[in-house]
Amino acid sequence: MSELLSKLAECIEFGKINMASPYPPQMKGQEGADEITRKALDEGVNPQDILSKGLMPGMERIGIKFRENKVFVPQVLMSAKAMSTAMLHLKPHFLSGAAKQKGTFIIGTVLGDLHDIGKNLVGMMVEGNGYKVIDLGTDVSSDKFIAALKENPNAVIGLSALLTTTMVNMEKITREIKEALPGTLVTIGGAPVNNDFCMKIGADNYSPDPQGVVEFLNTKIA
Amino acid sequence: MIHNYQFNFQELDISKNEISELLGFNGEEMPEPFGSYLEEACQDAARLCDIRGAVYISENIEFISNNSAFTIDGQFFDAGKLISRQLKKATSLALFICTAGEGISKKSQALLHGDDPAKGYVYDVLGSITVETAMDKIQRQLREELSATGEKLTNRYSPGYCDWSVAHQHKLFSFFPENHCGISVNSSALMHPIKSVSGVIGIGKEVKFNKYHCEMCTSETCIYRNLRSRAEKIF
Repeated sequence: MSELLSKLAECIEFGKINMASPYPPQMKGQEGADEITRKALDEGVNPQDILSKGLMPGMERIGIKFRENKVFVPQVLMSAKAMSTAMLHLKPHFLSGAAKQKGTFIIGTVLGDLHDIGKNLVGMMVEGNGYKVIDLGTDVSSDKFIAALKENPNAVIGLSALLTTTMVNMEKITREIKEALPGTLVTIGGAPVNNDFCMKIGADNYSPDPQGVVEFLNTKIA
Repeated sequence: MIHNYQFNFQELDISKNEISELLGFNGEEMPEPFGSYLEEACQDAARLCDIRGAVYISENIEFISNNSAFTIDGQFFDAGKLISRQLKKATSLALFICTAGEGISKKSQALLHGDDPAKGYVYDVLGSITVETAMDKIQRQLREELSATGEKLTNRYSPGYCDWSVAHQHKLFSFFPENHCGISVNSSALMHPIKSVSGVIGIGKEVKFNKYHCEMCTSETCIYRNLRSRAEKIF
């Protein structure tokens, strides 16, 4: 079992989706996340173990490489695609309760901002690390965040902004979320923000990279 | 008076090596499937892109004494000190809008949110470089037209950056007819299609084109950091 799961982790780390996928070149012709996940389930491996011992370590490794500038956005997206392919096999088990996600993370790019590549990467990385992710998209108002929170009590909120002029909307959104639902955790990210800004606006965490968000969630929820 | 521009994708002559670098493959050969994705995106771009731009130039400008704002034809723009300082020696200002069109914006969004985000990212980067290259071309044409009078151009500055509120987008677009070049602005002041840019360029004998200050920003992977270092080589 451990060999199968470590092979699965490798597929996620290097973005090997399935046998037909030519990427990465060094794994051409080999089985990918699709086939190995199916095989693991057929062999009776617990879906929770597939998630926590196969998929999540792979996502964690690619997250760390991205933080260290050893890989770039395209490679992370390939890992995310391998991950989502594997998750398709696991989804029925989550629905049946045989496997559980760690918690819920609601993410969106703040009002006035359309940039979403960074937000998407965070969403994929968080999902790949065992959380349910609700992506509200871009140009998202406080009302939308609060409505999503009411539907998903105890979820953590992630706010993203790329523009210097929309980071100010983070302050308003954070304040309104915390007024409406005290105790909600808010993590922020994006090019113009930093830890000082996070503290100033009363958010709970700033992460310069997706892996930082995963680490924050793991500390607070998992 | 509004000057209009239209280009087809081929005449922008965007090099695949440049796109490859912006994708993060610095000088190395792109592994598959990215080579095929890029090939497909470039072929598709000729069909998907509707590249249009427009420039409105006014000499009726005034800089406010604290150097953080200016007016164009009486419209007040509080663009912040960083931008206004770069423009203050200008004797006229050019407002610009430009888009790569709805087709490529929609295609990249559909892929990014659909079943192939990696391919979507290739289209997204291609859309960004297309609109920036079109604006480079417009700026070059403007510079050539003005060179006889000894006038020069500043960098391009856009709402949303360097403390210039994105809300000023509405004022900027009021200088152009509604839906000009196929670009509209929503209530949050965001442009549609997504792959569109807008902003201001200073014109005058005393103005300078400066290096962009990307070092002030913490995003090492931002595509605009690379696009701007490229602009510094062009102008």
